Amino acid sequence: MSTLLDIKNLNVQFDTDEGRIVAVENISLSVKAGEVLGVVGESGSGKSVTAKSIMQLNPGNTHYNEDAEIIIDGENTLKFTSKEDLKKIRGGKVSMIFQEPMASFAPAIKIGAQMVEQLLLHKPIDKKEAKSISVDMLKRVGIADAEKRFNQYAFELSGGMRQRAMIAMALSTMPKLLLADEPTTALDVTIQAQVINLIKDIIKEYQMGVMFITHDLGVIAQTADNVAVMYLGVIVEKGPVREIIKNPKHPYTRGLLKALPDINNLDAPLQPIPGSIPSPLERPTGCVFRTRCPHPTQEGKEGRINMGLIEVSPGHWVDRCGVNCG
Amino acid sequence: MINFIQFTVTRAFLSIVTLLIVCFIVFSLMELVPGTCAERYLAFKNTQGSQISFEDIAAEEKRLGLDKPFLYRYTKWVSDIVIKQDFGDSCILRISINELLSGRFVLSLTIAITALLFSYAIAIPVGIISATTKYASLDNALKFISYLGIALPNFLVALCIMLFMTVYYGDTMTGLFSQEYENAPWSSAKVQDFLSRAWLPIFVLGWNATAFALQTVRALMLDENDKLYVMAARARGVSGMSLLWRYPAKHSLGPVINSIGFDLNRIFSALPVVALILILTEAGALLIEALARSNDQQLAGAIIFLLTATIVFVNFVTDIILAIMDPRIRKGVMGGS
Repeated sequence: MSTLLDIKNLNVQFDTDEGRIVAVENISLSVKAGEVLGVVGESGSGKSVTAKSIMQLNPGNTHYNEDAEIIIDGENTLKFTSKEDLKKIRGGKVSMIFQEPMASFAPAIKIGAQMVEQLLLHKPIDKKEAKSISVDMLKRVGIADAEKRFNQYAFELSGGMRQRAMIAMALSTMPKLLLADEPTTALDVTIQAQVINLIKDIIKEYQMGVMFITHDLGVIAQTADNVAVMYLGVIVEKGPVREIIKNPKHPYTRGLLKALPDINNLDAPLQPIPGSIPSPLERPTGCVFRTRCPHPTQEGKEGRINMGLIEVSPGHWVDRCGVNCG
Repeated sequence: MINFIQFTVTRAFLSIVTLLIVCFIVFSLMELVPGTCAERYLAFKNTQGSQISFEDIAAEEKRLGLDKPFLYRYTKWVSDIVIKQDFGDSCILRISINELLSGRFVLSLTIAITALLFSYAIAIPVGIISATTKYASLDNALKFISYLGIALPNFLVALCIMLFMTVYYGDTMTGLFSQEYENAPWSSAKVQDFLSRAWLPIFVLGWNATAFALQTVRALMLDENDKLYVMAARARGVSGMSLLWRYPAKHSLGPVINSIGFDLNRIFSALPVVALILILTEAGALLIEALARSNDQQLAGAIIFLLTATIVFVNFVTDIILAIMDPRIRKGVMGGS
């Protein structure tokens, strides 16, 4: 399978009134066609920032490092500046779906009008064709009365239906890569399952790559092929999803797994990860997880010399410090 | 469509009810002013040298129908206005208010509405630019100017401009017409003369309103621009002007339209003071005259009624525009589609 997305050494920093803060530090990721990469982490771990970097959607105060690369189809999209180039990664080759489908549709523009607008931007077709593609896509994602929904506004649809409409809109231009930013977090559990199955079906059908961002390891276990666990802008562990769930090496990954409710033993107390994620302004020196680590090592306190991932088994990479302290 | 007609009719009905309540308040206030129209007229005559007696007052009250009960007179006042469009006679001047006001109210309305349009025409694009510009210095400069606009009272601006005009052009720019056209019938030359002078009150009134509207538009745009749907549109490849106008701008104009009635009200309130300074011969000046100098209840009541009726009407129209523009409101007020 060919690699769709290759992120190399990405650092993202924001200029704020309190100074420059680190949002993402030295991460490398790749997604192949037909593959689902799950990105897990608490809020503030930099997963959304990473996804937005791919589409250059981060705000104006964002700084990327000079040698960072986000390669899609052989081009470094971080270097894109022209309108035509940006269009390729915004809705062309890459589409994004968001956590809040209500908030991501413009409230006073009909769903159909927004879909047609996007299609006309990216495809050499006329309005009529764009409409028929849109209606077909709405049908494809399981929306009944697609013709009627096409002429409705987002607020007239139910939560699950909005999510489906948003997926239909994102997929209508046939992107190669789908960025799904917590697409199921705002949904009821039953609808969550429907939406996840829908996404899985569609990526198989179109052989797309997906970056699935969530804070819920349970969702990742059902959906993803590979997973990257992020903490404070750093990837602490990545690899095949089964391997990581069965054999987690980093104390943070273990903590996330332990924090999931156990369906076989409902009386067992939930085990939260002690402490809370530090403010980006008080980013720990050395190992970023040091302040919450159950067995912090001396090594973790010392600078970043020991940074980076090591391969513990084929395809399974763990933060150097995390292997030793876990 | 039926729903829309129903909505329009309901709104129209509510507007009429509002207007009736306003009428009642205005009429009651007219009654609360000490003394009646008859007394005031005779007192006025007294100052002119003619002797009057209590019998004269009683006779005058009877002639004016002031001996009838309050509700009767209220009903008559309202029905005369509604059915005959007749505001009665001025207490002091003894001429028909309709005649007195006919040209002047139109002038006031023209000035106020032009000032309003002028302020929106500037405030909306400039507010959008101020909120979305990459250059912080441009935003700061625009913010500074608009704070000046809010902070400087209208009359001060008017006085400064008058001073400037007097020093450099030898004309105070007061009044709405030059002397030779003051009492001339309307002609194209008179219109031209009017336009060459009306810009000053329009500018003075609009200056303040522009500053307010600019702040509103700027704040609304900043608010909308941060919303997820704008980023979602960017993520779909929408960019440039089509992004700006179709997404944040379109969605932030609702509250601006909503405030048209309010802004018009504010301009109307500022009009009398500006009119006084610029010696304008329009209804605002007449209102001050009637309220503060001659105590002419009938005239003041008529002007206040006309102003309120205009604002109620504008509010009615903006409600309809909003419902056409924003599907959420349409749905909210009219139920299912």
